[in-house]
Amino acid sequence: MKRGLWLAFLLCSVPSLLAAQFGIYQHGSVVRMHMGDCMLAHRGMMVAFGPPSIPVQDSCPEYTLVSPNVVYVIVGKTSNQLIPLAEVIDFRLQKNELAVRLDDAKRETKFEIKEMFVRSDWDRIQRHIDAQMKAAEVHDAER
Amino acid sequence: MTSNFVSAAIRCNRLSRVLVLLFLVATLSPPDRLLALPSNHPDESSDVTYHSTVSEVRLVFFATDERNHNVQQLQKDDFAIVDDERVIREFRSFTRSASVKLDVVVMIDSSESVLPHFQQVTTDVSRLIFQSVWNSQDLISVISFSGMEAHLLCSENCRTSFRVDQVVPTGGATPLLDALDLATTQLIHRRQQDVWPVILLFSDGDDTISKTSFRHVREKILESGTQIYAIDVSSSKRLSNGTATLQRLADDSGGRYVGLADGPVKILNDVMDDLHSGLLVTYVLPQSTSEFHSIRILPTHNLNLQFRCRRGYYSRRFGSARQEDGP
Repeated sequence: MKRGLWLAFLLCSVPSLLAAQFGIYQHGSVVRMHMGDCMLAHRGMMVAFGPPSIPVQDSCPEYTLVSPNVVYVIVGKTSNQLIPLAEVIDFRLQKNELAVRLDDAKRETKFEIKEMFVRSDWDRIQRHIDAQMKAAEVHDAER
Repeated sequence: MTSNFVSAAIRCNRLSRVLVLLFLVATLSPPDRLLALPSNHPDESSDVTYHSTVSEVRLVFFATDERNHNVQQLQKDDFAIVDDERVIREFRSFTRSASVKLDVVVMIDSSESVLPHFQQVTTDVSRLIFQSVWNSQDLISVISFSGMEAHLLCSENCRTSFRVDQVVPTGGATPLLDALDLATTQLIHRRQQDVWPVILLFSDGDDTISKTSFRHVREKILESGTQIYAIDVSSSKRLSNGTATLQRLADDSGGRYVGLADGPVKILNDVMDDLHSGLLVTYVLPQSTSEFHSIRILPTHNLNLQFRCRRGYYSRRFGSARQEDGP
């Protein structure tokens, strides 16, 4: 029984430990967060081909994670799947998901990737949005 | 040769005099006269007015650990604020709100539906006003409401002027929202930057006659930055509309909902602990396309930390300055 438990523990912890050991984590910073639609997370074979079901009226956290080269928009699978909003977080891409390392808990939490942008494109879009908002603010102030 | 040298020296001397004269004219004359530019504001030399925009958000919040105990040692980098979706980690200031002056309005429902608990409520209110630890600059007002209107029993100085026999159990309908509107208006009129407006509401939450809508009152509460501590005095143990109203008011404003069944001592201790354990953070107002900013506070490291604050605020323009609501 004890051996089994040890084996299970090792199987659970080895992937993230190895990831940390070999330095395969990338670094990024969450700059935006909101509670959005969970439908993306609920998509899958069962939903696509299974019997029609009532859509789940739940909201899931959606984060914009900025890394040096790529910007990811990621969605949690449940409403309480939160990630610490530290200045820098560690993450890695695993199949079609993005695994974020939870610093204090020494474990990972996985998110669906909703969108990806090249960092330079995203920066340009942000600058444009900021300029438009500033112009609107000046316009409002002048009225 | 000598005469040439002398005349050159005289010319040089004249030139230097002219230059000195020009220098004096240039330094002593006002700039618009020197450049021959007409001044648009001839009298403004001493009364220059500089305009700048006020763009700071002040937010009172509470932090608890996994055991629901207040976190005493919270640091500036333990939390981030999600303001209108933007993650904010840079704060202008971070302090304990114990140093902030309180402006408290105690609201007592004296309508028909709460009469069975009326005696206990007045005793609790009296204990709260006279036996709790207040700072010398805290303001306390008391409003009672029933029938068609709300009555201001004492304003700002209730620690010296409130008497229990002022609250008469009149019965009748419950103008809860109208009374909240009145209390919030009072708090808005007295609003100052370093004053934290709080409403302690003793009621069953069951409005029966108000002219004011819930939506209007909710917006006004969020706009004023008032936190509501709702003490449910209903005898029903089931979830009623009144209970839901009180819970919503408390949750949206960042206050708390407590039932009278918790016992008066615990209620008063909880409320006073809260008022003394609040944290005050200020940050630069982020750009947004809407006037309403939703707020959420989340941990940066320890996911067991829980944060409580109002749901949002309105950034409205007053004149030329952009101003955010109080703490």
